[in-house]
Amino acid sequence: MTLLLDLALAAWLLALAMHIGRAGEDRNAIIAFIAFGLLLGLGWVRVSAPDVALTEVAIGGGGTGILLLRAEAHLRKRRVGLARPMSGAGKAVAALVCGAVTLGLAVAVLTLPNPAPSLAPASAAALEGTGLGNPVTAVLLAYRALDTVLEKVVVVLALIGVWSLAPDAFWGGAPALRSAMAPASLTYLARLLPPFGVVIGIYMFWAGADAPGGTFQAGMVLAAMWLLVILAGLRPEPETGRLALRLLLVGGPAIFLLIGFLGFAIAGGFLAYPEGAAKPLIIGMEAALAVSLAVTLALLVAGPARKAPGS
Amino acid sequence: MADILTGAALFILAVTAAGLFRTLRAGAPAERLMAVQLLGTGGAAALLLLGTASGAEGVSDVALLLVLFAAFSCAAFALGGDRSTRPEGEDGA
Repeated sequence: MTLLLDLALAAWLLALAMHIGRAGEDRNAIIAFIAFGLLLGLGWVRVSAPDVALTEVAIGGGGTGILLLRAEAHLRKRRVGLARPMSGAGKAVAALVCGAVTLGLAVAVLTLPNPAPSLAPASAAALEGTGLGNPVTAVLLAYRALDTVLEKVVVVLALIGVWSLAPDAFWGGAPALRSAMAPASLTYLARLLPPFGVVIGIYMFWAGADAPGGTFQAGMVLAAMWLLVILAGLRPEPETGRLALRLLLVGGPAIFLLIGFLGFAIAGGFLAYPEGAAKPLIIGMEAALAVSLAVTLALLVAGPARKAPGS
Repeated sequence: MADILTGAALFILAVTAAGLFRTLRAGAPAERLMAVQLLGTGGAAALLLLGTASGAEGVSDVALLLVLFAAFSCAAFALGGDRSTRPEGEDGA
């Protein structure tokens, strides 16, 4: 029965991907792409990777979906012509390249030695020292914490890149995200959903230490709730020049780096944690990172400043 | 018992998939967005059944996020729809 389910799921994913490829209009393709992200979450659950499933649903379905919809709405508003659809030959080349990559990956996976080389036993053996129960969180914040630091910094750099697209006159002003006329149902949703969403976001972060979850998922949930409130016009867009906002943005990575450098003094190495104190330090860092990430992701979607500061 | 639950999940997914491809071909954009809502509810139901069948932890959390982001993407779409019907936005930047 499970084999049948897996085969059916794979077939539906492929069919949905084909549908996206053939969709004539941009917005249709984006809607199908959001559905694809949600369905792909189910696929990740089937291969026993709930952490990846959570990220896929949050970032692939929710985050990327709204980014694409916003870009499409922007292009449409300015009537920038993406009117010419891709030619048949272009689609054929894209399909050929994607097929070749898939085949290559399949061959690579099938030719792995059996049993496949794995660091999982070593990682599980050291888990006790960190005090964490979720091996994914242990890899992200203890064993390979340096990669995670750089990853968070890259997200902030991406935001700086987006902000630098603002015209000089608007520098430090607020982005324009709110719809000109929010329908009543959207206002209702924006009043109803955020209380649940904030609880779910905090739960995601808290559960991340011992069960699937973590900062990225929590950050995206919190960002989505904030965006919802702004979209419905219940709260104004934040001014990008405000000091409190900028402190929130850099706070997470700064605390991460601070604890990293403290490691030299108290535990004998960059990003090393003292015996017994690893878990509280990691939880504290994760809390700061989740808040920073939520603000950064929301502002990435909001885009560059579109109003003069103080207006 | 696990087989029955998996079978039920398969059935729900099959019905959802059938509805999905029908709604994705609908005429109005708002109707097409209902496909995402459909996947939110259908996917969450299938996940809860599968999670109970396999006893794997964290599956119900995925169902939770699925419902949350399905509802959120609905709001995100209001942004796209609104802008398209009023090409002269208030911000003439």
